[in-house]
Amino acid sequence: MTPEVLSYAALACFVLGAVAAIAGFRVEAFRSNALQFVLAGAGLALKTVSIGIFCATSSTHFFNSPADICGLLAWALSFSYLVALAVCAVRSLGALVLPLVSVTLFLSHVFSKEGVYPGVAAGPLLALHILAAFLGYGLFLTACGASVLYLEQTKLLKRKVFGVLFRDLPSLERLERLELVCAWMGLGIFALALAAGGVMAHHLNPPRPFWSDPKTLAAVVTFMVFGALALGRTARWLHGRAAALVVLGGAALVLLTFVLSHPLGRPAARSEKQEVRSEAPPSRLSARSSILSPRGGANV
Amino acid sequence: MSTMPEAVDALCLTGLSHYTAPVALRERLAFRAEALPRALGAIRARGFLEAVILSTCNRVEVIAVARQSDPDAPARIRAFLSEFHSLPEKEFGASLYEPRGVAAAQHVFEVTASLDSQVLGETEILAQAKEAYRVAAETGTCGRVLRRLFERSFFLSKELRAEGGIGRAQASVSSAAVALASKLFDIQGRTVLVLGTGEMASGIVRALRVGGVAEVYVASRTEARAAEFAQREGGRPCPISKLAEYLALADIALVSAAAPNYVVGPTQAKAAATQRRGRALCIIDISVPRNVDPAVGEVEDVFLYDIDDLENVAKEGRREREQVAARWRPRLAEEARECLRELEDCGVQYTAQKLLEHFGAIRQDVLQQARAGGMDQEAFDSLARALERLQGRILHHPLQTLKQAGREGDGAEAAAWISRLFRLELQAQQGSTDEHG
Repeated sequence: MTPEVLSYAALACFVLGAVAAIAGFRVEAFRSNALQFVLAGAGLALKTVSIGIFCATSSTHFFNSPADICGLLAWALSFSYLVALAVCAVRSLGALVLPLVSVTLFLSHVFSKEGVYPGVAAGPLLALHILAAFLGYGLFLTACGASVLYLEQTKLLKRKVFGVLFRDLPSLERLERLELVCAWMGLGIFALALAAGGVMAHHLNPPRPFWSDPKTLAAVVTFMVFGALALGRTARWLHGRAAALVVLGGAALVLLTFVLSHPLGRPAARSEKQEVRSEAPPSRLSARSSILSPRGGANV
Repeated sequence: MSTMPEAVDALCLTGLSHYTAPVALRERLAFRAEALPRALGAIRARGFLEAVILSTCNRVEVIAVARQSDPDAPARIRAFLSEFHSLPEKEFGASLYEPRGVAAAQHVFEVTASLDSQVLGETEILAQAKEAYRVAAETGTCGRVLRRLFERSFFLSKELRAEGGIGRAQASVSSAAVALASKLFDIQGRTVLVLGTGEMASGIVRALRVGGVAEVYVASRTEARAAEFAQREGGRPCPISKLAEYLALADIALVSAAAPNYVVGPTQAKAAATQRRGRALCIIDISVPRNVDPAVGEVEDVFLYDIDDLENVAKEGRREREQVAARWRPRLAEEARECLRELEDCGVQYTAQKLLEHFGAIRQDVLQQARAGGMDQEAFDSLARALERLQGRILHHPLQTLKQAGREGDGAEAAAWISRLFRLELQAQQGSTDEHG
C-alpha cells in the first residue's frame, strides 16, 4: 500500500461522508451521527497511515509543497470535525466540513508535490510545530463552520423560513457551544505551535522579530482574535452574531496565513533550495531559510 | 384456477374508525380492556381460527382468520359485534369497512404505522396495536397468520419512523411551539413566562413541560386567574407589574393576554435582551389580536413568533408527513402481498408435513396390528421397510405436485384438495388448537 493509494481511499471515505451528510437533510437513513463518525473516522485513519508511511519513507518530510499542505489541512480538518461531532453531536456540520475536506484532499493529489526547502533540519520540534499548527487551524476552521451554521440558522429563525434546512440545523445554543469548544481547543494547540516555532526562530542566525514576517504576524493575530473570542464568549461580553462574525474574521486570517506562507500551486524553487543548502551549513541556519520566513518556512 | 393464497381468502377485517363513524357510535362498540379475552373467546367460538381486537378511541377493528375461504366470515363478525354490545346491526352496519385478504393486511400495516391515524405519524397507535396483539397471544387466539402479520406490521412501523422519518416533523401548534423554542436552546430546565391564561396557552405549557422546562411563571391582569392557571399547570403566579423583570428572567415568554393593545413592545424587549447578556429570548404570541409589537422581532437575540408562524410550522410538518405517507403506502401494499405469499408458502409446507404425518400414523397402525398378531421380528422388520418404501412411492408424486403448485401460485388450491382428500383438516384444526395452548 503506497501513501498515494491510502490517501485516495481516505478521499473516497470523505466523499461518501459528505454525500451522506448532505443526503441526511432528505433521507432519514443517512441522519445518523454514527454513520458520519465511521466514514470520517475511516478517512482520518487512512490519511494518518498515509502520512505516517510518507514520513517514514521520505527524507524530506517538511510538508512544504502545495500538495502536502492540502493533505495535512484535510487531515486536520477531519480530525477537528470528529472532535466536534464527539463533543457537540452537530451532524449537519458534516454537510459543510466534509465536502471541504474532500476538496482539499483532492487538491492535494492535483497540486505540485515539489516543495521549498524549509531551511531547518527535520526533527521533533519541527514535527510538533507543523502538526500543532495544522490541528489548530483545523479547529479554527471548524469553529468557522459552526459560525456559518449559526448565522444561517439565525437568519432562518428571524425570517421565519421553516424548511428542511431549518429543521435539520441544531439549536443556536449548541452551535455557539461548538464554536467556543473549537476556539478553546484550537487556542491551546495553536499556542503549542507558536511556542515550537518561536524556539526554532530563536536559534536562527541572525534572529528575526516575528513582526517582520507577514505569515508569522498573521498567525499571531489569528491567535489573538480567537483568544479574544474565547475570553469574550466565556465572560459573556461577546455573543451571538457578533461572536460568529469574529470567528469568520479569524478564519479569513487563517486563509491569509496560508496564502502568505506558500502561494498554492507555485512551482518549487529548486535553485533556491540548492542555494540555501550551499549557503547554510546544517548547524547554522540563515534567516532567509527560517521556519517562520514567508518563502522558506514550514508552510503552516 | 385461483392464484390467491390461502391466507388471502381466510384473513378478514371488520371495523370502523374516526373516518367512518362518529364518536357516539365508536364508544358504543368499543371493548374495555378487561372484556377483551371474553370477546376473543366469543369470536373463536364462532368458528374463527385466529382473532385480534384493536379497540382505541379512534377505531374498533376485529382482525380474524376464518377456517376456510368463507364468504360469510364478515357477517359472522358483524353478528358477534351486535351480540356482544347488544346493538342492532343496522345501527352500525353502514359505518363498517370489511377488507379481506391483501387489503386487510395492508390496512393492518397502515393502521400500525399510523398512516390511518387522525394525526399522521403519531406514536400511540403502535403501542395500542402491540397491546391488542399481546392480549390475543395470551388468550390463545393469535396463531401463525396473525402472528406473522402483526410482527411484520410492528417492524414496518419502526422502519417507517426510522427511515421515513414520519414522526420527525411537528404536526400540532403545541409541538410547533416546542420545536421553535428548541431551535434556540435546549428547553430542558428553562424558565417560561406565561402572560394570560388562554386555553391554548395551557396546551403549549403542557407540551413545554413534557419537553422538560423547569419553572413556569404566570402573569395575568386578573391575579385570581393567574393563580388558578398556575395551580392547574404547576407554575407560580407573578405580578404583571413586574413584567419587565420576569421577561429578563424567562427564556420563553408565552403571550396569550387577549388585551386590546400591545403588552410587550421593543423597549421592554431591548431592556430584557440587555439584561440577558446574549441569551436568546423566545417570545410566542398566540393572542389575536396580537399582544406583542411585531417590532420586537427586530431586537437582537429576541425571536418573536405569532400564531400564524406556529400554524405554518405545523402545516409544514403535516405536509411532510403526508409526503412520507404517500411514499410509503405502495410499499406497505407490496409488503402485504409479500407477507401473505410467504404465509401461503408456509401453508404448502404445512400441508406436506401433515400428509407425511398422516401416512406415518397409518403405517404405525398397521405395524402395531402385525405385532399384535404375533409376527416374528424378522418378518416385522421386513414389513416395516416395505411399508416405508410404499409410503415413499405413493407420496412422491402428490408431494412433487404440491411443491410445483406452490411455485406456480396454486399452492393454496392444491393444499386444500390434498387436505380434503386425506381429511387433513381435522388434524390441522387439532394442531392449531395445540398451538394456541
